[in-house]
Amino acid sequence: MGLVKKDRIRAKLKSGDTTIRVLLAHPMHTGRGENDAGELIAAEFVQDFRCWRNDIEVLTIKCGTATARNPYFSFQLMGGERGDRITIRWVDNLGAKGTAETTVK
Amino acid sequence: MGDKVNQQRRSVLKGAISASTLALVAASGLLLPQRLLAHWPSDAFNAETVEDALLALLGQAEIADDDALQFKVGSPPSYAVNGASVPIEIQSDLANIERIAVLVDKNPFALALSLEMTSAVKLPFKSMIKIAEDSDVIAVIRADGKLYKTTRFVEVDIGGCA
Repeated sequence: MGLVKKDRIRAKLKSGDTTIRVLLAHPMHTGRGENDAGELIAAEFVQDFRCWRNDIEVLTIKCGTATARNPYFSFQLMGGERGDRITIRWVDNLGAKGTAETTVK
Repeated sequence: MGDKVNQQRRSVLKGAISASTLALVAASGLLLPQRLLAHWPSDAFNAETVEDALLALLGQAEIADDDALQFKVGSPPSYAVNGASVPIEIQSDLANIERIAVLVDKNPFALALSLEMTSAVKLPFKSMIKIAEDSDVIAVIRADGKLYKTTRFVEVDIGGCA
């Protein structure tokens, strides 16, 4: 059985700061790749990624087609404490969207 | 007679309810995706050269080269076996960072990532990008209205921009 396709998020308190790691499940087609039949695959990529801590927006990432498949982001937030709610949302160029939530451990 | 009035009243009520729910939905931001899409800076992401992308994104392309920015691409540094996912890491001691952009010179569209930071975010930032061929990879930081950039040349074994 393969892995379930879903967005993964981890938030950890490390020496006073919050470290967040996110792995989105997304094919990130650039619009230039071809499938087995030699036809172009339509562009499909995450354009907008946002992160909230306790409903306060902290980070926005705009992605182009050059972000790798199954985008991975890792960054830190000043301070924070155990139990903080971290939410992420993404939207791709076709309007598909995803969201994931976790609490700081 | 009474039936007719009731019917009318019903449809009027129905109409009123759906109108108000629509207004509520719109107000509560459930229609957010359209707004987000509209905010995607397509000019910058569709620019083919580094200068054009920076101009479109930041409105300026004049940059001070600086060591205030530590930038790692590939693993081991400056080498990547597979261009489809090249790890990058950006670290800096600068204060008041407003924006970070990552650009790949030889990619069909230069701009790869653009981060809008708030003061709550702390570096390092790590991610993975696609690199089409051996190329300069450029990280640009805007802090206190000034631009800082660092360039790294990366060798790629298998191009990764399909």
